[in-house]
Amino acid sequence: MEHQYFSYDNKIVRYFAFATVLWAIVALLVGVIIALQLSFPFLNLNWEFISFGRLRPLHTNAAIFAFVGNAIFCGIYYSLQRLLKARMFNDKLSWIHFWGWQLIIVAAALTLVLGITTSKEYAELEWPIDIAITLIWVVFGWNMIGTIIKRRVKHMYVAIWFYIATFITVAVLHVVNSFEIPVSMWKSYSMFAGVQDALVQWWYGHNAVAFFLTTPYLGLMYYFLPKAANRPVYSYRLSMLHFWALIFIYIWAGPHHLLYQSLPDWAQTLGVVFSVMLIAPSWGGMVNGLLTLRGVWDKVRDSAMLKFMVVAITAYGMSTFEGPMLSLKNVNAISHFTDWTLAHVHIGVLAWNGFFTFAMFYYLIPKIYNTKLYSEKWANVHFWLGTTGILFYAIPLYWAGITQSLMWKEFTADGYLAYPNFLETVTQIIPMYHTRILAGLLYFSGTILMAVNLYKTVAVGKCVDNEETSAPPLAKLEPKRIFGETVHSWLERKPVIFTILALVAILIGGLVEIIPMMVVKSNIPTIETVQPYTPLELQGRDVYISEGCVECHSQMVRPFRSETERYGEYSKAGEFVYDHPFLWGSRRLGPDLARAGVPGGKVNKPVAWHYNHFVNPQGMNAQSIMPAYPWLIKKDVDVASTPAKIRVMQTLGVPYPEGFDKESEQVLLAQAQTISDELKTAGIDIAPTKEVIALIAYLHRLGKDISLAPPVPLPNLTGEENSENTGEKVAEVPPSEAKILFDKNCIVCHGKLGEGNAIGPNLTDKYWLNGGTRENIVHQIMEGKLEKGMQPWKNAFTKEQVDLLADYVIQLQGTDPHPARDPQGELVE
Amino acid sequence: MEKNNKEVKYDGKPFEHEFDGIQELNNAVPPWLLYFWYITVTFSVIYVAYYHFLGNNVLQDAEYQKDMVVANKNVADQKASSGEMAMLVLNDDANLAAGAEIYKTKLCVTCHGNLGEGNAIGPNLTDKFWINGKGLITDVFEVIKNGVAAKGMMPYKDQLSEQQILQVSSYVLAKLQGSNPPNAKPPQGEMVE
Repeated sequence: MEHQYFSYDNKIVRYFAFATVLWAIVALLVGVIIALQLSFPFLNLNWEFISFGRLRPLHTNAAIFAFVGNAIFCGIYYSLQRLLKARMFNDKLSWIHFWGWQLIIVAAALTLVLGITTSKEYAELEWPIDIAITLIWVVFGWNMIGTIIKRRVKHMYVAIWFYIATFITVAVLHVVNSFEIPVSMWKSYSMFAGVQDALVQWWYGHNAVAFFLTTPYLGLMYYFLPKAANRPVYSYRLSMLHFWALIFIYIWAGPHHLLYQSLPDWAQTLGVVFSVMLIAPSWGGMVNGLLTLRGVWDKVRDSAMLKFMVVAITAYGMSTFEGPMLSLKNVNAISHFTDWTLAHVHIGVLAWNGFFTFAMFYYLIPKIYNTKLYSEKWANVHFWLGTTGILFYAIPLYWAGITQSLMWKEFTADGYLAYPNFLETVTQIIPMYHTRILAGLLYFSGTILMAVNLYKTVAVGKCVDNEETSAPPLAKLEPKRIFGETVHSWLERKPVIFTILALVAILIGGLVEIIPMMVVKSNIPTIETVQPYTPLELQGRDVYISEGCVECHSQMVRPFRSETERYGEYSKAGEFVYDHPFLWGSRRLGPDLARAGVPGGKVNKPVAWHYNHFVNPQGMNAQSIMPAYPWLIKKDVDVASTPAKIRVMQTLGVPYPEGFDKESEQVLLAQAQTISDELKTAGIDIAPTKEVIALIAYLHRLGKDISLAPPVPLPNLTGEENSENTGEKVAEVPPSEAKILFDKNCIVCHGKLGEGNAIGPNLTDKYWLNGGTRENIVHQIMEGKLEKGMQPWKNAFTKEQVDLLADYVIQLQGTDPHPARDPQGELVE
Repeated sequence: MEKNNKEVKYDGKPFEHEFDGIQELNNAVPPWLLYFWYITVTFSVIYVAYYHFLGNNVLQDAEYQKDMVVANKNVADQKASSGEMAMLVLNDDANLAAGAEIYKTKLCVTCHGNLGEGNAIGPNLTDKFWINGKGLITDVFEVIKNGVAAKGMMPYKDQLSEQQILQVSSYVLAKLQGSNPPNAKPPQGEMVE
């Protein structure tokens, strides 16, 4: 048959390769910097743009999306063309893809250091960048599928199955997890709240690992390993089985990030069992890779490239066994929130992704430059630097994680926590943190050595930007299965049907877990006393998000005695219904803050304590590793943004009364003034508009609502009938119109029971700021008192409604709720 | 052209077709891997049944409650065996040293200063002025044990045994009172002579 002549585009491959090396250096360097900051907190330099909370997401994003992302594209652009015997579909799309992706990375780096973040792990970027990612991802997919359609090879090789699964799954994950409503150009709120947001985020987060760090690399492995070793792939049958099993099962495992947390038990169980069932399909890839090397193990001894590959594949096997083990509830109870998880993910990225990328470069850079690697010896040194770096990283952090967790859980014989002061458990593991710095430097120096080695190689050779080649054209394909053709073999030549089937496979798990969480109300039992944040607290929450507090502090007390003793009542699903986004966190470098606002609670601190602690944490506790936040007392909250934020929250279903946005600025200032006044009594003079005031207001709200709720009765554990609990239910009285009005409009400032809160006064005592007669109350409702934050309601209510409310307030008198705000104004008997 | 009917037949022999020079064998899946897969599926079925369908009551809330019942009983037994404690200032060196240690390690220093001189947060403990009570051992004991929520003093009853609270109260009264440290915070509360 006549051959067609065409060329492979190597230029795009080399651009992606250079970008990979550049971003690898950046990601590793930032990693070393934040490791140094954990050991020596003064290295945060009191400068907001390099504070740990902002650099840590920069490190993870650079490692995953910049380093690994570019490596994926480099490997796919190289292997796809050769596996399909076709040039990339469209060169313009290739270059839009390349430059678009680099621009996204630069935008990500800039916004993250500026404190612009959604706080959702590995999805921190704000909405304009989310849209850009979607567009560029579509360009990538379009280019890839276009190339597949115009291929000259009948069947799609297994590597391409993995590329297709990567493309469609990442698209679905990214789009759904980015559902958010913009407040302004660089601020949005997640459309999901609390438990739902947590589930969607970890469905995304876990599968970012699966479909960004795993499936594309399995695809790359299936190309570069047999090429480098010059051996046939061990088993086509195994490829087929493990591919479909892997993509179907992986998507279910997300809830294992939320074990023992406020996620319904059924969802946690799904997370556990699908993680366990994931071991064999994951190992399918490792087994197929390692057995492909049968007969050429002697080559591994000599070739740095093959050594990198073998360690990468072995680390993949170890990680995919460790992951399911960490998903068992009894192991997770120890490992979660500790450095164990960090050791686990670093083995994944440094050994599996990093080492495989390095092997790929040692293979393809000399190939496209038509020369030999400058120094095989340097590549060997690189291998040992990298390997020791990984070991120096992982082993001390396993040690640190287990040590810290056991210290958190230890009780004395008298029944007290052995280490009630959280800081003791941090100080204990600081030596391990020092070791991590060394580990990072080892791995980093290896990468630099590779960069120099590749540079020298490139300098000698010349890149064949358009590699001429030829292949016979693809004969016309039968649309139907031909006699004797297996279903899968047929599928391998039907890319569109293949893609649709893969899409179905990855959608099932997500739908089964997420849809019930959205529609079945019993998954998130309502807690009556939980109310929306006040405007000041909402602004404070945004400061908390912006500074990356969630990188080190969880807001999730798990139902363990060691945690309820340390922090207070364990967290309930109903507490988070107004949390857009959720802020449960995934690591405790500092103590949990879910109960920071419970008055008189175990972790409640006075406002002056917080103020001094933000300014100089080491002044309070010499060994604290928290960065100082001096800019919080200098920068003002953007008070003018409050109404827009309130309106977005209303759109998302947060029940602020209608028109509350207009009053929100005054309400904010009134509450800020009370905190500023309180600080003044401690000798601290600060304007009420400063960020620190809002942040303290937010911290003092955490857990406060649930502390007002009646205690939950103990479940019946003995199995015996308990006569008190089995009594007939009290008939529910429908609420009066007055109560409905009050609940809808007044409780934000006066509390559910009229007990008052940080904004509005107590309505149940005998003290009145503006007179206590019925006429006074009617007047107050009608005309308001704007300077105090009380808005006039005469346009919102009819005269009858005002009368009903006034009567309702009079009925509240003397109801004596607990706790209640201290009396204000004059006593009226 | 390839003959597709050949693809399904061979085992351990390469396919006729190749991809950029890569050949594929079609070896059987290693049996141990298959068995491992069956084991994990069986485990999962049993796991779901055990937690959700066999009425074992082992989900996380129940697990917590059971844990607490056991712990509370142990603590109560411990308390019952240690008996009543006399509310007197402990003047011996051993107890005062223990009190000083607690004062430093339980973060009393954060709000009351290294020498009890007080700071922006907590009051001076060395003068004769008292905000809560009249400076009796029972008053100090009560403040440390249950805290003063309104003022930001946290309760220590969950962190310290009664004996330890008495030790640190004794340290405040026997050692800090009248020590007249530098940088002392001005008096607050009422003077008690």
